[in-house]
Amino acid sequence: MSTDNRNSANEEAAKETFDEFRSSFSYGSRTDLLFKFLKSGSEQLADDFLTEILDLTGDLIDNGDTAPIVEAIVRAQSEAYSGPGNFEYDSKPFAILDQPVSESKIALLTTTGHFAHGDDPKPFGMDGLTQEQVVKMTSEFGKADPVLSEIPTTTSVNETMVRHGGYDIRATAADRNVSLPIDRMNELADEGVIGEFVSPAYSFVGLASQLRLRKEIAPAWAAKAKAGGAQAAVLIPI
Amino acid sequence: MSVGHVARAFEEAGIPSVVIMSKVFKDRTAAMNPARILLTPHPMGRPLSAPFDVEKQREVLKAGLNLLETATDGGTVVEYDQPYRTGPFVDQPDRR
Repeated sequence: MSTDNRNSANEEAAKETFDEFRSSFSYGSRTDLLFKFLKSGSEQLADDFLTEILDLTGDLIDNGDTAPIVEAIVRAQSEAYSGPGNFEYDSKPFAILDQPVSESKIALLTTTGHFAHGDDPKPFGMDGLTQEQVVKMTSEFGKADPVLSEIPTTTSVNETMVRHGGYDIRATAADRNVSLPIDRMNELADEGVIGEFVSPAYSFVGLASQLRLRKEIAPAWAAKAKAGGAQAAVLIPI
Repeated sequence: MSVGHVARAFEEAGIPSVVIMSKVFKDRTAAMNPARILLTPHPMGRPLSAPFDVEKQREVLKAGLNLLETATDGGTVVEYDQPYRTGPFVDQPDRR
């Protein structure tokens, strides 16, 4: 093989395929958790989505309308994550609210990975992990027991932290009420829309061992919420 | 999927619950039959609203709370159909 041919072969080997490119957004060289679905869905879905986004961006710079881009993202994410997951149940447990919402003590629990400053849940015994670090530890989190953080409902915005390796935290880092609506729940309680906002609010990293969560941990959390006075609960995933 | 397990545990403990979530994960969550789901047409990671859309946050929460009172059977799924809005909003900090 001539030198020229060898160089050409090396360049060919170094070329990234489209499949490698789309996969790189999911815990790869281009990690972006808002777009990690590019790997989860089909190659055609990724192709169609990126083509549409570029086209819509061309419109955006002329008309300023972001709505079609948001809709395209939601549509593509929905398709990529379509179908049931690993858990399907036929039974439908259902508890009846015994009094109006306006007279109910309502708890808030989210799977978003929020916690109060100074109360780091210390996953794997490690204090002060960064978002960048936990993004690289998703397989470890997926096998571990979730830890429930208790966040007093008087916790200020500046004392509210969020860290989760499974989703794009940008929005809720800017405004916790995007997924941990402590301020809104406090307002609704003050206005009498709900009877009481139970303190503390709860949050954990939903990326965790599902079997342990189902069998032991979630029932224990429900008992804890009940002991804390909760008569109903608002549950918010990522 | 975590929220499905938590919702079922709460119902079994006698605590009525409503899941407020992006419709992106509708299939896998609904398959777990939590008692009540309110689906929002929002991207992943933004179940209630875009940052600082206080009005939308209140509307979505009230819709979810209403479901606590009105649902009559487990596995109830309701779509909140008002579109996701992008800012800037009145309460948005000045980012300059």
